[in-house]
Amino acid sequence: MHSISVENVHKDFRIYDRPQDRLVELLLRTPRHRMFHVLQDISFNVPEGKSLGIVGDNGAGKSTLMKLLVGTLEPSGGTIDIRGQVAALLELGAGFHPEFSGRRNIHLNASLLGVPDDDIDAMENDIIEFSELHDFIDRPVKTYSSGMYVRLAFSIATMVRPDVLVIDEALSVGDIAFQKKCVQRMNEFRAQNKTMVFCSHSMYHVQELCDTAIWLENGKIREIGKSAEVVAHYEDYSNSRRVYTKGEEQANSHQQEKPEAVKDCRILQTLVRNVDGELIDTIDPLQDFVMELQAEILNDNVICYFGFALMKDLEEVMSSYLAIDRPDVEHGPFKKGERITVQVQVQAMALRVGKFHVLSGVADESGLLWYDTRLSKEININPGKGWGTLVMRSSWSMQRE
Amino acid sequence: MFFSLMRQWVLSPVRHFRLFHQFVRQEFSGQFAGSLGGFLWLFVTPIVNIIIYSFVFSVVFRAPIPESFGDVPFVVFLMIGYLPWFAFADAMGRASGLLLEKAPLITKVMFPVQLIPMVGTLVPYLVHGIAFFVFLLYLTTQGYFDLMWLWLPVALGLQFLFTMGLVAILSAFCVFLRDIQQMVTLMLTAWFFLTPIIYPLSLLPEDLRPLMMLNPMHSFVQFYREIILLGDFSMPHFQVMVLAAVLSFLLGGWLFMRIKHAFGDVL
Repeated sequence: MHSISVENVHKDFRIYDRPQDRLVELLLRTPRHRMFHVLQDISFNVPEGKSLGIVGDNGAGKSTLMKLLVGTLEPSGGTIDIRGQVAALLELGAGFHPEFSGRRNIHLNASLLGVPDDDIDAMENDIIEFSELHDFIDRPVKTYSSGMYVRLAFSIATMVRPDVLVIDEALSVGDIAFQKKCVQRMNEFRAQNKTMVFCSHSMYHVQELCDTAIWLENGKIREIGKSAEVVAHYEDYSNSRRVYTKGEEQANSHQQEKPEAVKDCRILQTLVRNVDGELIDTIDPLQDFVMELQAEILNDNVICYFGFALMKDLEEVMSSYLAIDRPDVEHGPFKKGERITVQVQVQAMALRVGKFHVLSGVADESGLLWYDTRLSKEININPGKGWGTLVMRSSWSMQRE
Repeated sequence: MFFSLMRQWVLSPVRHFRLFHQFVRQEFSGQFAGSLGGFLWLFVTPIVNIIIYSFVFSVVFRAPIPESFGDVPFVVFLMIGYLPWFAFADAMGRASGLLLEKAPLITKVMFPVQLIPMVGTLVPYLVHGIAFFVFLLYLTTQGYFDLMWLWLPVALGLQFLFTMGLVAILSAFCVFLRDIQQMVTLMLTAWFFLTPIIYPLSLLPEDLRPLMMLNPMHSFVQFYREIILLGDFSMPHFQVMVLAAVLSFLLGGWLFMRIKHAFGDVL
């Protein structure tokens, strides 16, 4: 059973040279516009209980597609069929009235989403509870910080228990503790067999929260498939262009995801050793080596999943090693003050030339929020003979007849 | 097509009553949120207006008391026409901004947009209806009362429908053509002085008077005066009112429903 089915949808915006032309055309039905194609040939299905991620560059048509799904825009052609009630978080707090208290806004927003009054009363406490706004709920929302705004909006949208939830970049705001709750809530959502459409610039979230993903490029579907694959291909594509826009991208790299709020865990250092345990800063191709992180736990009962990545240019991940994929690695709960050393032995360094860093990180139990990350010193590769960037273990044979 | 649009338009406040109710509450108390006097302004504004107009017209201009309504203080004559007009003008003045103000909501949330012009008309009518009611109470203490006053809610209802249709058209057009905002202000001023509100119809040259039948607001004002001051009304005015109300309400609703799907593209 498909919960969302989209067939041959395209969306054109009409561009008018003068604003009044639009009115004249509507009333007299004589064309006075030029066409701008925002979306073309969009077809996909989302089965019930599955989640779909949408990735793509700015201006690729992501927001337009989201608006079409929600229904605030009409497609210029094609059909969109959605079963069940849709709740959308396209802009956080879109329906809020700044002069009213949070409580009044809960009622207003929930009735916008089509919830009966009695149900709203029942949900009110849960919403306040989830948003953690007890002390502020009776103050006008214009006095809220943007983080509080988001918390309230997200709480309302997910508490009304829609059949289909459409979220645009909701996780990029709010403090780390709340982000954690959002991820949890979205996972619960999936567990309840609800359908979700999620649009984000955070590839990691798309990969972890979505089953399938769509990569939009210039208004067309460039790729659709398993989220891990689509995200990988998209990342590959962005990385290849990143050379030209390095300065811009640097600000958006992983460094930003470091929590500003209270951390549960801190990484003291990231080291690279040879198999004999000595610290190294150069490495031979095909050599084995050990990545090590030393971390300190800052709270009681912390669950930590450790991870490592080999980084090229401080921003592009070449290879990743995550404890969350390895149930045999211990992940806590740890006690406050504990010091932990984690080592991963890597066999046969496959790079032939160049240099790299090791990045280590600690994530929470969802695997989506990184408490801390830290880079090692730069490691240089002693180039061997040959050409090309990679080197692999190989054996030769020859037969003569 | 036409009938399904009309049905949606007419039934939407019933079908989406909760939301309608929330919107009305929001707009109504939103007008006073953050102001010190709060609801006091509801009563202060009309009273101050009455004082100003009675000073100007009874003391400065010494306007003649219209004979056709008998021995009536000019202020009473004036206010009967002025208060309902005020509701009309207030609703029309806000109309052009209604959808523009709600742009984030309209583009980001799916809901019956037609509720916005409805609420935008209802709220000024509630606000000024209170003032009108206070004024009527005052009149009863002065010895005016007649069972014919029961026609007043009917007339106000018709005026409300008449206004709502116009508000729907204005608010929708303003999405496409912002100049309408300026035009409305001018138009309302002209309309105000072209309607015999601050002057009796008898001051108009004889041959211009029949033209007034083309101005529905004149019929409304005349109707209120006849009911309140004479306890009677004349049929032609009532017919104009019903016709204007039905036409405006249906035509406005139809236009609004027909172009509302395009709001998302423009806002």
